[in-house]
Amino acid sequence: MSETAFPVNDLLRRKLQTSLALVSLTVCVASTLFLLLFSDQIGFGITSAAENTLTIGYYAIFSSFLRFVGILVFAVGAVIVSFITFLMMAQRTRDFGLIKAAGCPNSLVFGYFLTELLIVLFLGCALGVALGFFTNYAVINMSTFQAYQKAPNFWYAPLVFVAFFVFGLIFGLKPLLNAARLSPTAAISPMQYFGLSEGNRFKALSKSRLTLKIASRSLFRRQSATVRIVVFLSIVFILLTVSIAGSIIANGTTATRVEKAVGKDMLLVAHKDMGSQYISLLSKFSGAKEKADFNYLDPNFAIPDAALQQLNTISGIANFEKRLVCEGQIHELMNFTYSDSETIPIGDHREADSLIVGVEPEKVLSEWFIEGQFLEKGNSSEAVVGDSIAAVMFEMPLLQSFRMQNTTLNIVGVCLDPINNGIVVFVPFEMLKSLNNVSDPNIMLVLLDSSVDRSSVIMQIQKRLADANLDLTVFELNEALEKNVGFLGAIWSVIMFLPLFSLVAATLCLIGYLVLAIDEQRQEFAVLRAMGAKPKTVLAILAVQSLIVLFSSFAVGISLGVMGTLMILMVQPVVTSFTILEIAGWLLAALFGMFLVSLWPAARFAKKPILKIMS
Amino acid sequence: MPMKSSDFIVATHSLHKAYRVGEEEVEVLKDVNLNVSRGEFVAICGPSGSGKTTLLNIISGIDRPTSGQILVLDQDLAVQDEDFLAEFRCSNVGFVFQSYNLVSTLTVAENVAFPMEWIRKPEAEIEKRVAELLETVGLQHRANHFPAQLSGGEQQRVAFARALANDPELILADEPTGNLDAKNGQKITQVLQMLKASGKTVIVATHDPELMQLADRTVCLEDGRLASKNE
Repeated sequence: MSETAFPVNDLLRRKLQTSLALVSLTVCVASTLFLLLFSDQIGFGITSAAENTLTIGYYAIFSSFLRFVGILVFAVGAVIVSFITFLMMAQRTRDFGLIKAAGCPNSLVFGYFLTELLIVLFLGCALGVALGFFTNYAVINMSTFQAYQKAPNFWYAPLVFVAFFVFGLIFGLKPLLNAARLSPTAAISPMQYFGLSEGNRFKALSKSRLTLKIASRSLFRRQSATVRIVVFLSIVFILLTVSIAGSIIANGTTATRVEKAVGKDMLLVAHKDMGSQYISLLSKFSGAKEKADFNYLDPNFAIPDAALQQLNTISGIANFEKRLVCEGQIHELMNFTYSDSETIPIGDHREADSLIVGVEPEKVLSEWFIEGQFLEKGNSSEAVVGDSIAAVMFEMPLLQSFRMQNTTLNIVGVCLDPINNGIVVFVPFEMLKSLNNVSDPNIMLVLLDSSVDRSSVIMQIQKRLADANLDLTVFELNEALEKNVGFLGAIWSVIMFLPLFSLVAATLCLIGYLVLAIDEQRQEFAVLRAMGAKPKTVLAILAVQSLIVLFSSFAVGISLGVMGTLMILMVQPVVTSFTILEIAGWLLAALFGMFLVSLWPAARFAKKPILKIMS
Repeated sequence: MPMKSSDFIVATHSLHKAYRVGEEEVEVLKDVNLNVSRGEFVAICGPSGSGKTTLLNIISGIDRPTSGQILVLDQDLAVQDEDFLAEFRCSNVGFVFQSYNLVSTLTVAENVAFPMEWIRKPEAEIEKRVAELLETVGLQHRANHFPAQLSGGEQQRVAFARALANDPELILADEPTGNLDAKNGQKITQVLQMLKASGKTVIVATHDPELMQLADRTVCLEDGRLASKNE
């Protein structure tokens, strides 16, 4: 037989093992390439689109998440490839010994199996690259993503091909080199077969149940492969947890912060042009455009005291807040700080146009996520700045001040507010009034009692304002709020979609591991069946092995994933009991799905006649 | 002709077994009629490939005949499902393979115990029975060893202990001394002698003249057909 005929025939003869290795490799390479292309075209497409729409604080959360998930996806891919090739070649230790025992020189046997490894690796990587491009093309042309497309970066194809080919080769060569070093008798011996330990090193996890006993000892005997699959699945579960839990928590947290900043079930009372402008500024977050050259201080927009008196008389209004909104230029002031008796300058003399909102600190209805503190009543020299303006214009905002219309204001807090994408400063209402020489606010935020019939109260407000001949309109802010929350939700759901491919590849690897378990325990299962074990006993032993592997990796992956999500990726996350239930539901569904699919080879095997298993 | 089985623990009528190898059909058993009475010790001889193992497999319910009838303990095994056959083997048949076939992940004691665990015998009873059986085969000192730590002869004796675990009426042994040296073969012969003395029904496929001498009756299989030697 020629040197290439043997490996090719051998691969064709072992149809199930070869196709499983090939499919796993293909899916792994394809998923990694797809995710890289997808992240590049859509993920970072969204982030770059979002850079101009999201506030910088939200954008930072999203992009750091995407980067973290991208790194994990690549790591999962690398571990999968190494695991598949290790598994494929570790299964051949016995065959290696048998061929050597038959008189074939070591180098020739090594060459046979190396050729097999190279064939499978080359085909897997090539098919994976093709499938990755195809999947990306198909997904990217879905209507949801068309708005964010960029041209694909074709350099990812050789990068993934070469990196994974090299990974696969290194990890596939390891068991081959080990087998080459063994004498034929040692290679054939069950003591070497899949890393079988010495007899007296067996440790039982359970002494009562036979099924658990056989399953746990088999796992321990196959410790080399078992450790690898547990490590690999743990990384997959970290990826899953970060993507699923992270996305859900981040979505919940960002949505809650937006809701609290905008105000849930809040009404806006203003002149119709001013109201529309304010809503556009709020919705800028999700892509709306406000009117340029808008005169915020137009006297027609002023809300007179008469309006406030009217509102005071309507029952069902829990609270209301007047604000003065305008635009202006702010100038950064340079400051100094001291470190080790050294004076360090902070900041520069930058300038920016910003939205300026005058508020009464003791009456604000918004609850911002804030770094530092909010304005104090009676202090007219303080300001709170939005996260975007803090990031683009100030070096250490909480230690800095700015000038606005010849007035110096010290920054006491940085807040997350979607209005004008975070290019906003909040200043004392009375101070802003006197700076602009106006006497009235130009918007009014109204909070209704939760128990009242909203539409009837809204109608009542409209009627009273009309009766008083006031040119004011009532706007529902919920629509703008829903748009913002929906936009955030769409972004996070893109991230949740990313680990799907890794999950498929992981499931295939778990199936591969169970095929290895079946292959190794084939004779024992036949004996158990011959001695009176029912097919379901064999299925149960394999199911327990799958469960032990899955639960161990699940525990490690979930713990590290949750730690990563909560400690690294999110500051002060909003986690409710519903959030925990939602995350648990998704992760348990993934675990259960993987478990069920992994049983496929076991169920197929358990149905086989005893003699077929023995042969 | 309808079979009257109650006198016999094993009764086969016109038993055929064929395997398909590629396009070709290979007939392994041809019109085999064999009746074995309770307490009888029957040796089945014949050259390799004559169908001895296939016949034992069919009697134990591991394999099914292509045609013909097989009654074991009044049960028609050809028509039963896998779960029934599993329970039947566990409770009524003790099978000893030529290549021992112990479960490598279980210790000697556990290998002997597991058929009893399947029929949910009380733990204390299992422990007592395991100790008793290991003493019978002279391996009580090996109870906590794994199969890989035993010699071939010792493994075969464990296999006998395992086959006797549920005190089955029928013991089937497929060339039990085939892989053993003379000294270990002798020990297995002693175990079989003991089984014969205790009144068990034993069917042994063998080439070993000593085992044939021990048998009440020896039947020979030649090219899948049964031919009596000393009935």
